[in-house]
Amino acid sequence: MQADFRPPRRRCRVDEEYVAPLPVSRSSPERRRAIRSTTSCFRADLINRHVLVTEPKHISDIYNQGYFGKGILSRARPERGISDQWKQYEGFLVPVITQARYEELLGWAESALLAQGLAQVAVNQMLLRLRQPVQVDELRWEVENGDKPQLDAQAHPHANFSPHLESKPSQSLLRELSPGSSPDLSPDQGSDSGSDSEPDDAPVVPGPGFVLVSFDGDHVATETPQLRRNPLRMTEYLQLGLEEAFFLVYSLGCLSVHLQQDPLSITELWRQCMALRPDFVSSYAAYHHFRSRGWVPKGGSGAKYGVDMLLYRKGPPFYHASYSVVVEKVDERFEGSTLRPFSWRSLAALSRITANVSKELLLCYVIHPADLSEAELDSPACLSKLKVQDVMVSRWVSSKERAEQEDI
Amino acid sequence: MGFSANGKQYLLPEEALYLMECGNVQVFYQDLPLSIQDGFECFLSSSSVSLQQYQVFGHLKRLGYVVHRFDASSQPSSYARQLNLPQSRGARSLKRKRSDSLVPTCSHSEAHKVPDVKRRQAEEDPTLPESRPTSSQDTLGAQSPSADSNGGRPWWITDAVASHQSHEHACRRSLCWDGVIVFPDVASLRGHSSCLASPDPSLLPGGLTVGECDVKPWTRRINQREVKMSAKDRERERREHRRKWDVNRDEKVRQCRNWAEYHQLLASRQGRRSGRPEHLWQREVTPLHDHTQPISTGELLDKISVIKSTHVLEGASRLKASEEWRICFTVYQPDTVATFKKSNPGKPFAHMCICSFTGPVPDLAAIKQLSFQSGDVQIVFAVVDAGDISFYTFKDFQLPTDVYP
Repeated sequence: MQADFRPPRRRCRVDEEYVAPLPVSRSSPERRRAIRSTTSCFRADLINRHVLVTEPKHISDIYNQGYFGKGILSRARPERGISDQWKQYEGFLVPVITQARYEELLGWAESALLAQGLAQVAVNQMLLRLRQPVQVDELRWEVENGDKPQLDAQAHPHANFSPHLESKPSQSLLRELSPGSSPDLSPDQGSDSGSDSEPDDAPVVPGPGFVLVSFDGDHVATETPQLRRNPLRMTEYLQLGLEEAFFLVYSLGCLSVHLQQDPLSITELWRQCMALRPDFVSSYAAYHHFRSRGWVPKGGSGAKYGVDMLLYRKGPPFYHASYSVVVEKVDERFEGSTLRPFSWRSLAALSRITANVSKELLLCYVIHPADLSEAELDSPACLSKLKVQDVMVSRWVSSKERAEQEDI
Repeated sequence: MGFSANGKQYLLPEEALYLMECGNVQVFYQDLPLSIQDGFECFLSSSSVSLQQYQVFGHLKRLGYVVHRFDASSQPSSYARQLNLPQSRGARSLKRKRSDSLVPTCSHSEAHKVPDVKRRQAEEDPTLPESRPTSSQDTLGAQSPSADSNGGRPWWITDAVASHQSHEHACRRSLCWDGVIVFPDVASLRGHSSCLASPDPSLLPGGLTVGECDVKPWTRRINQREVKMSAKDRERERREHRRKWDVNRDEKVRQCRNWAEYHQLLASRQGRRSGRPEHLWQREVTPLHDHTQPISTGELLDKISVIKSTHVLEGASRLKASEEWRICFTVYQPDTVATFKKSNPGKPFAHMCICSFTGPVPDLAAIKQLSFQSGDVQIVFAVVDAGDISFYTFKDFQLPTDVYP
């Protein structure tokens, strides 16, 4: 007998707007016109069992369209930036930092520039220029023209920064994390129409955007906050799980994962993931199955709910999670619960927990056929041979069952 | 409750015990009334109903459900039920369940009678599916959930992933041509020597000698007039010049040792810019979908559905019935008591499968096999833990596809 499907419960307050189910270009069936998203691949790096996305535009695209991943410092979406407070300034929303913090950031900018081998004199000059207050019309100009750094030196004196900097932010930060890598230095360019530069080339110093420096403190008279250039680029990275990263690479082809600056092909990435997690085949098969049904599986709920993943409809901000999923691997005779053997005690406990948080417990059995050899498991082409069976576990209360239909 | 055969009313042992506990019936054996303890000892045995099964039976009966023993052979198929075929009485009475008449199978008294009774039961009911329900209880207790088969390797131990990668980027700087070819600037040789020296014979293919080159006839053909540019033109010229990017300043280009590698570098950069990088698309396994191609969400979901989902009855017919998991009772809902007829009970509410709390949880094989036996009636697992009973259902679930928009 089939279990009934209960519609997901919507959250009371929904602040976010739904962008897209997946980060690919879509065409609406009515109009047959393409809604283009970005054309280039997103870039991620495999560092120590995790996949990190560092480019801010990629982070926002990947997270907003499909809710992949998690910010490394935040609960869900990467939210940390240069400041928590934002204020209205002449019609623009600008982050506000204190003067002490501003000086600290300038100090970091100085050490970042010195680390690139620039002379102290040049560094001092640049810092002096950074400290100059910025006029509002320059802010307006840059907002209108997007994020493109300026080309013409005469009209915008701060544009001199761009050609001189020879660093890639992801490289310099990645250098600290993985000491074996050799940074790839390529000069930054204003426009990349003719050049072959890498797409993620924004300078560390100065960072993009502007800040309002507020001069509070011991002064009796508080001065008005000054608009300055953002001294240092600080972004929070997006951390992707192995299954999410492999899904973006294999199913959608929109992400490319690099291991120490070398891009990994699909088979290489599959082998890396298998080496990092022994049961990657089953957990990825379950993830792929749920994604191909249009649901959003979020892993990492082991510590919270005791299961492998939670299923959301559309995404976590919109609906409460509907199902808690435990992934199980069986052979072709449907025997063998090797990943997580249950006893009645643990199943009863898990069932109670799941009911308490208003979800439904789903066991997802990944059925391996008999003829699947080890060599075939070495390539993601084995996924088409696997089958998935969902079983819903629920508790039946005999005393409440007298006349109604279904339980809980 | 009960059934009639040979013109007499009979009670099944669990029914008899239940009614004894309720106080509605007194059971006599050889003109002596049985106590409750005697009843428990006599009526519950491995050949009739085990203690745990009786506990579930009693629990459900007290709540008002109608509980019968499960009879696999009298199960109408779902198709027959759809057609509303009338149950033929004759067939049902022939396939009577075990008629343990009021002669109890006492274990401690009259031992010589026991084989007699048992033989009779065996003759009467060869189709009984239950073999040894209580013997399986012992084996269940012995099993305990095995340790985590992963080996419990702590997740924070980082693999030596880096060491696997051999740095193939060995120094390729030796013998690197920096890509600069110097051509003689013929146009500015007005004042200089009017002939070019002959080239180095080692660079020429064998047997070829080249003399000096007289530049004069060539310079005459070149337009050497000064280009007049306005200030704006000069300004533009200067800006373009500054903007022009020298391709040799790129380190990756400097690392290319010949044209083939340079073309490869250009192709990979082109691929990356166009969204189809070569390390994804030029290998043996390619992505399922090209993200630059516009596609609607529904079609995309169909495209990436490589893993098929099954339903619970698939492959269930080739599983053999296991000794461990069998359906014990058929339960009907209590509010149908008014319309309930033994000859036509209607569709059952659930099939009960009884297991012990210390036993194993049914795996997929057990679920499939029981669903196959049960047809389209739900299966409820009653877990007995020293008198406390919990019920769990394991149902097939097909997750609907959610396309938005």
